[in-house]
Amino acid sequence: MKNRSFLLVTPAIAVFSLLFVLPFIYFFLISLWKIKFFKLVRDFNLVNYEKAIFNYIEIFITTYSVSIPVAIITTVIGFYYSYLARFKTGKFGSLMIFIALITLFGGYLMKIYAWKTILGNEGIINSILIYFHIIKEPLSFLLYTKHGLVITFVHFLLPFSILPTYAAMRGVNEIELDSMKDLGAKFYHVHFMLFFQRCRTGVLASFVFCLLITSGDYITPYLIGGKITFIGNMIAPKFGQFFDWPGGSAMSFTMLVISISIILIVSFLFKLTDPK
Amino acid sequence: MIINKSISIIFAILLSFFLISPIFLVVLFAFTDRALATFPINSFSLKWWIEIFNHRQFASCFFNSVIIGLSVAFVSSITGTMAAIGLSKLPTKTASITLAIISIPIMLPPLVLGIALLSFYVSIGMKLGLHTVIISHLLFTQPFVILVVYARMVTFDYSVIDSARDLGASPFKAFITITIPIIQPVVIGAALLAVALSVDDFIITFFTIGAGNTLPTLVFGMMRTSLRPSVNAIGTIILLMTISSSIIALWITRYRG
Repeated sequence: MKNRSFLLVTPAIAVFSLLFVLPFIYFFLISLWKIKFFKLVRDFNLVNYEKAIFNYIEIFITTYSVSIPVAIITTVIGFYYSYLARFKTGKFGSLMIFIALITLFGGYLMKIYAWKTILGNEGIINSILIYFHIIKEPLSFLLYTKHGLVITFVHFLLPFSILPTYAAMRGVNEIELDSMKDLGAKFYHVHFMLFFQRCRTGVLASFVFCLLITSGDYITPYLIGGKITFIGNMIAPKFGQFFDWPGGSAMSFTMLVISISIILIVSFLFKLTDPK
Repeated sequence: MIINKSISIIFAILLSFFLISPIFLVVLFAFTDRALATFPINSFSLKWWIEIFNHRQFASCFFNSVIIGLSVAFVSSITGTMAAIGLSKLPTKTASITLAIISIPIMLPPLVLGIALLSFYVSIGMKLGLHTVIISHLLFTQPFVILVVYARMVTFDYSVIDSARDLGASPFKAFITITIPIIQPVVIGAALLAVALSVDDFIITFFTIGAGNTLPTLVFGMMRTSLRPSVNAIGTIILLMTISSSIIALWITRYRG
């Protein structure tokens, strides 16, 4: 019986192994190879990692100076949104979740494009403000700046943050919230921390997803970021116009290692704040 | 207390508005007369729609997107449903660990997946085309199908199957006549989510398609050069495909987060 059940999972695991595990092992090996006369040459050295770290350190700093705030802001807003939908808005709550779900499945590129038309000098915000004579000159700090980049990322990632936090909150009911108060969690922050800890897995899932996706994105910086360059903008051309797979692979793995380290630190901090 | 409540409602409305309005604006400006997305809107027109329907690449991109979306949905709903049924019979811990591992591709940046797959296909000598896009999309649609169907399977009442078996049905017959009709709506819902995810994907498609185009890769090419409302028109078509299939899917599966 058990063996038959495993048998049913095999096609899915085959897809996963053949198209994820295998390509990823190969992709990692490439990072140790080199390019000679426009051909991949098998090798074993860490030169590509050295280059990835020392030549691109500033770009890594830019990438994470945007993606860490984005992951925090998105998680905080997503947590608040889920909290409102779960406890504060009654029937409107399920509509809020429905809105989050349909924006989740609709339009990666179109969301970025939408913000480009909203934030631009001749964009929607500026044209409305000028039309109502609130400003005379268009606000130029919106598009091609960090602000615009953060807004676009937060908007795109918010549904991905709402779903796990809301799922975690579904396990907490109002009675439990009230009993936390009654049992002596009188101080507001203790009350909040207890609730927060109950939703820890959801919050962490949101942070992890937002950080990994933001730090690895290159389309949003390309279209919205102006002069701001992410590490992804350096990686992508190495698989297109500049043939440098080993370099791009080493940069990708460096990025993943940095992101995972940040995630480990954050989840450690989470454990520290546990009042239990 | 009442003030507290109304502050909550105001924030709820503002945040919902923040989520939905950019998508609404993309659709709205697909129907305006002017070449720039600015207020006030003087008059509405369908000229951008005529422009894209006459675009020489539009039809082929549209069909590529449809072919990829449907094939991905077909395959991933089969492998995903099988896996979900199998996992639902295993201990919860084994099932959730397997689910977490199979879901790793969703968590990774699409750029990394795209370039890893590209270098893999090229080095094993596979020609790039629609088929490489289809198999690549399985990686991130399959986990969604498994999650949705698994959520249904854990509440599945196996006593119906047992009754059928007691009454003499073979396991196969019981599966065809009982299990399939019961889980069919959820599977269709999951397949529609797979369509939405596949049609929406740009980055992985971009790296694994080779020379062809889909609607998102076409729209990206147009976006780089201009902000004309014809981009909004194609965007509206993509949104129509992804949002309508996900709304139907959510409605069928009654999935609520």
